[in-house]
Order: sequence, then C-alpha cells, then structure tokens
Amino acid sequence: MRRFIVLILSLFISVSALSQTGDGCYNCHKDAVGDKATELYPGDVHFKLGISCADCHGGDKTSDDMDVAMSKEKGYIGVPKGDKITSVCLRCHSDDAIMGKFGSKIDVKQFKLFKASVHGKSEIATCVTCHGVHNIKKVTDPASPVYPTSEVRLCSRCHSDANYMKRFNPALPTDQFEKYKTSVHGQRILKGDVKVATCSDCHSAHDIFKANDPRSTVFASTLPKTCAKCHSDADYMRGYKIPTDQYEKYVQSVHGKALLEKGDLSAPACNDCHGNHGAIPPGVKSISHVCGVCHALNAEMFSRSPHAEVFEKKNIPQCEICHGNHLIEHPTDEMLGVSTKSTCIKCHKEGDKGFEVARQMRDMIDTLVVRASKAKAILDEAEYKGMDVSDARYEMNDVPQILIKTRTVIHTANLNEFKETIEPGYEIVDRVTKSGLDAIYEYYFRRWGLGISTLIITVLVIALYLKIKQIEKKR
Amino acid sequence: MAKFGERLFNWFDERYKIRGFIEFMSHKSVPQHRHSIWYYFGGVSLFLFIIQVVTGILLLLYYRVGEDSSYESVQFIVSKVKFGWLIRSIHSWSANLMILAVFIHMFSVYFTKAYRKPRELTWVTGFLLLILSLTFGFSGYLLPWNELAFFATKVGTEIIGSIPVIGKELLIIVRGGEDVTGATLSRFFGLHVAILPGIFTVILFIHLLFVQIQGMSEPPEWEKLPPEKRKYIPFFPNFLLRDLLLWLIILNILAVLAVFFPWDLGKKADPFAPAPAGIKPEWYFLFMYQTLKLLPPKVLFIEGEFFGVLIFTVAGILWMLVPFWDVKTEKGYRNRLINYIGLFVLIYMITMTILGYALS
Repeated sequence: MRRFIVLILSLFISVSALSQTGDGCYNCHKDAVGDKATELYPGDVHFKLGISCADCHGGDKTSDDMDVAMSKEKGYIGVPKGDKITSVCLRCHSDDAIMGKFGSKIDVKQFKLFKASVHGKSEIATCVTCHGVHNIKKVTDPASPVYPTSEVRLCSRCHSDANYMKRFNPALPTDQFEKYKTSVHGQRILKGDVKVATCSDCHSAHDIFKANDPRSTVFASTLPKTCAKCHSDADYMRGYKIPTDQYEKYVQSVHGKALLEKGDLSAPACNDCHGNHGAIPPGVKSISHVCGVCHALNAEMFSRSPHAEVFEKKNIPQCEICHGNHLIEHPTDEMLGVSTKSTCIKCHKEGDKGFEVARQMRDMIDTLVVRASKAKAILDEAEYKGMDVSDARYEMNDVPQILIKTRTVIHTANLNEFKETIEPGYEIVDRVTKSGLDAIYEYYFRRWGLGISTLIITVLVIALYLKIKQIEKKR
Repeated sequence: MAKFGERLFNWFDERYKIRGFIEFMSHKSVPQHRHSIWYYFGGVSLFLFIIQVVTGILLLLYYRVGEDSSYESVQFIVSKVKFGWLIRSIHSWSANLMILAVFIHMFSVYFTKAYRKPRELTWVTGFLLLILSLTFGFSGYLLPWNELAFFATKVGTEIIGSIPVIGKELLIIVRGGEDVTGATLSRFFGLHVAILPGIFTVILFIHLLFVQIQGMSEPPEWEKLPPEKRKYIPFFPNFLLRDLLLWLIILNILAVLAVFFPWDLGKKADPFAPAPAGIKPEWYFLFMYQTLKLLPPKVLFIEGEFFGVLIFTVAGILWMLVPFWDVKTEKGYRNRLINYIGLFVLIYMITMTILGYALS
C-alpha cells in the first residue's frame, strides 16, 4: 500500500514537474492534440524520470510556437525510424554518466551486444520492438512486455509467424512457442511462476546468436552451463523437489567428456535428451526412443529383446536401469555377467535363464578379449624378431569391430545371435595366432638354416683348404 | 664310368679341339709373391657379379615395374615368396660387396702398376666395368620405389642438370620427364636388367679374355730378378681352388649379413611428401656428393656444382688413361708420383665418405 502511495505521489510530482517546467511538447500534445503517445507517456518509466518528448524527438520544449518548437533548426527529428530509433535510445543508454544521474544500474553495453546479435539489424528489430514505446516499463514490472510471463508471447510474435520468419531464416522452425507450452517451464509460467526459464534465460536478452554460433549461450558445448545456471543452484531450485547435481554428473559422463573435453559437438547436451523448447524429463517408456535417436542399433536390438516387454509391464526405465541417466559412464564388460559389479544380477538370480545367458555372454567376450591380447603379444614378438606380420596385424583390426558389434548384440539378450556375431572374432584370432607363430617359427628356421648352411660351407672351406695344402705339398 | 668320360671328352675334342685349350690352361701359372693376395679380388668381384645375375634373375620372376607395383612386388617378394627375403637381401648385400671388391681390385692393380704395358686395355676395360657397376648400383637402388631411393635418385639426377647448355635436356632424357616419376622407374629398370647386363657381359668377356691371354701381371721388381727366383703356382687347380675357397667364405659372409641384417624396404615413395631428413646417396657415391656439397656456389666463373662434375669427369678420364701417361713405369723406372696420386685419391675418397656420414 505504501509503495502504491509513493508511486502515485511520484507520478503526480513528475506530471506537475513537466507542466511546471513548461514542457511545451507534452502540454500542447496532451491538451490540443490528444494523441495516443501522449496519453500513454505518463505510464512510461522515462516520463517518471522527467525525460521530455524533446529529449527523444528533438525540438524546443520551451517554445509555445509549434513552428519553432518542431523546427529542424531546433533539432526536431519527428518520429525516428530504423537505426535512428536506437541512436535516440543510445544517447542516454550508452553513457554511464547520464545513466548514473538517474541512479540507473542498467548495463550501458546493451546496444553493443545487441548490434552484434542475430537481431542487430534495424529491419529485424530495434529497442522498441521488444520494450515498446511511450509506455516502456522496467523489466521487473509485470506490465513490461519483457517481463517473464509476457516475454514468451513477445518473442513468439515474430518467431511463431512462419511467413514473417521466412524473410530472415526460412530454415528456422516456428514451433518454439507451441513446444514451450508443453514443457515444464512453459506449463509453470502459465501458472505464473516467473522463476522458470523463458526465452531470454537461455538465449540471453540482447546478445542473442544462432544456436550453431559458438558465441551463443545455447551453443552445444555452452548449453549445459546455461541450463546449470538454474538447475545446479540448490537455493534457486528449492521447492521444485528435483536434484541439482545433474550438471556435476553430466560433466563426468561419457557424453559430457565427449562434448566438453574432446569438443565433439555430436555428443548430446541437455537438450538432445530432454528437448529444448519442449524440455521435459523423458517418460519411462520413451527413454529407449530418446537414446535410440543416436544409439539406433542398440535401441532396435533392445526393442526385440525379451527385456522390452517386461520393462514396459513393470515400468522399469529402459536404458537407464543399466546405464544410468546423467552420469552415463563408458560401458565396460563388468556390467555384463553375474559378478557383483554386473547390472544383470539386479533382476536375475542364479538358476534363471537370464542369469545363465548373462554368464555365457560374459565368458565368451572375456575369452575373445584374452585370446586377442595373446595373439597381439605373439605378433609383437614376431615383429620384434624382425618378421613381417603386417597382413595378420591388418586382419587383427577387425577384432575390435567384432567386439563392438558383440557388445551391441548384448541388447538383444539373444544368445544365438550373440554367438553368431562373436564367432568370426574367434576365427580371426585363431588365424592371426597361427600367422604369428608361423612367423616366429620362420625366424628360428632362418637362424637354423643359416647355422646349417654356414656349417656346410665351413666344412667345405676346411676341406678345400686341406686339399690345397695337399696339392701344394705334392709339388 | 671313366671310359664314358673319356669318350665324351673325345667326342667334344673331335669337334671343338678342346684339348688345346685344356693344355693351355694346365700350363697357365700365377706369380706367387707377397702381394699375391690382391690377385684374388678380381675373382671375388666376378663371383659377386655371378651372384648378382642369379639373384637378379630370381627377383625378376616376381618384380613388377611401375609406380603402383614396384614397391608392392618387392614387399610381396620379402614377405610372401618362399626365400624371397633371402634372395632380395643377398642381391642388395652382394651389390654393395661387389662395388667394394671392384674398388679394392682397382686400387690393388693401380698400386702394383699392373696396368702397365702390355695390359693397358685390361685396365681400360676394368675401369669401364667399374663405371658400369656404379651405374648398376644407381639404377638398381631406385627399383624398390621406396622413399629413400626416390629422393636419393632425385638428388643424384639433379646433378646432371647442372651441366651447362645440354644439362636440362640430358636430365629430361635420364628421368624420362622433368621429375622423377614412373617413367624414370621404367627406364632405370630397362637399364638395370637389359642394357647394362648386355654391355657389362661383353666388356667383362673382353676383360677376362685379356687376363687369360696375358696371364697375371708380375710385380715390376721381378723384372730385375733371375728367373729361378720367381715363384709360380699353377692356375689350375691351385689358384682356382684358392679362388673357390675365398668365394665360399664370401658366400658365408653374405648369408650371415642377409639373415642378421636383412635389407630394409622402408616406406613407399610419395612424390608429394617432403624429403626426409638426411637424404644421401649410397656410400660409393658419397665422396662425390660430399664434394659437390662443400663446393662454393661459384668457382671462378662457373657454377660450383658443374665445376665439381667437370673435375670428376676429367679426373676419371685421366685415371682411365693412366697406362698411357705413366711412361716412367713402362720404361722400368719407379714412378713415385703414381703412388702419391693414388694415395691422395684413396685418402680423399675415404675422408669425404666419412665426412658425408658425419655431417648428415
């Protein structure tokens, strides 16, 4: 109530201040013209700070003579258009000293940021496109068009208009607002929760860039941090009853390391699993579809496994039950089988079919890994001995491929399919081992061959020497 | 059995009169003195040449010349063909040992003045055989089409381009184009397996014929010895058996080298790749290469490189013609200058070769 009284009082003081200081523009337009702009202006944040019409439009606010007040000589510019709008705003908004006089803490670099942004050309947007004109409010004012509850609609005015957007970027989707309404963020904001993310929270306000521009706050490798601004802030997220360690886990995950450490932009960020404008946690049944967008083969194999039906019935989160969600680590063979580290034993107990299948699969993979490493050691030894085993080495390259395929086929939980996939690996390892051993045998064969031939030649040399001595003695 | 042998001999003798040749051979003798050891190096060179011919023919069964097949076929020979690794390694080692044996043979003949009248043409044909052996080495080095060979050939043939007026044209003829390409490989192959063996065999035949007709040269100091103080051994079988003994030892050395130090194949030649560091020719060209490298860009009014080529050509010709300008030895006097020149050449070649390895 007190605030309201202060507001009314300051409004009254401002209006009377303008009238009293003789702002000819406002007085004349209010009394004689009665236009919309003058009608709106008392509600504008600038009006309350004593900024006159002439401060933006130019002219002489002290003159009663319309011709003098609105003459070019007095600097009157009329209704500014295009770049002129921003230059009018900039007169104050890029000057720290002026802004300081009004006690404002608004960043004076806004225009610089805006000019470099995707919206920076005047034919796309100027200050007034988003902030309005003559009734500009503080961004914290619920009446402002950029107040969280209004901002989404403001952006969608252009971004949901397919015909309008075609002029600038025909490839850009125009369904962001529709999707946003289905997201947790969108549903909450519709209920008036201004803490949830709106457009500018993710895309930023003035320095908006295309999503594939590394300067963008939603660029693949920057996005996790953007989401973490809110989602890792335990204080901010209090009341939503969701964990705040997702980012912390994600950076340690195989996806996080690929994207953030290796710079692999094809690795998923938050939005690739949760959606971006329609961000929502994937439901239990849709997990395999979400993961399957990239891991298509695994998803396809899982869908025809006996697990698919059981998981659906028992409401078990598909991929997540074995691999986890935000902290997905590089899968190891340890996850398979019946050891204590195995994920299979979460459901399977000794004696059931799945337990036996898991045990056999693990045994077969371990056998291939051990035999492949032995074969490699044999090749190393042959090479160390100077033998050429490049063909065998080349053939050996197929084994990691077969192991990858085999580890994928695990998702079918089908032992026969698994055996069909892994058996070529055993055959290769057998052939390579044989080639390596043959090469080592050849090495010793050469040494022995040399030894024997050297011996024969030496015997011949001695025999010849004795023969020469014998002949020469006769003489 | 003995009768059959005699009948066979008679059969041939009736038709080709070989009795006379046998008679000649059985009376042939070789001087025996403290420098006799040097007589064997001609035989060693011949033996190594025979090994080159035999192993070369065997390699030819699998070698396929071409930018896309030379390297691959040599790789196939050393990895897949039964005993291919041994044949290739012996061919490479024997080539190097042959050049070494030819050099030793040449210097021993030079210092013992065995080139003097009446063996002037034996010396000249021998010198031509040396030049042909070096050409064999140079052309054969490129055939595996590996990186080192490619760049060494590139650098080696570039020297030809330094000859004024005709240099560029000559370079194009040698390379089969402006650069070392598959065309160079083809003509080096032709040179190595057809042209050189043909010429070499003819000159070698003449060289051996001269040696057989004139016999081994006796040392100059023997001319003052009374005939009873001159010792001889029969060529057949004594000298030949000694020759054979040395050949067997050389064969053993070759086998050990081929098994313990198999010749590397290296990486395939890539004309677009930058030249690897430390490119240098085979050891027997290194003294010339090092000289050219050390020469200033301009000597008097001519290009340094061409000056070097000119000097080596003139020196080579003078060296070849030594029996004709060394008139002192011919007349039975001691010619120390010849020894000094020989020593200078030998020391120069060894020093430059060592520098070539040390400075790279």
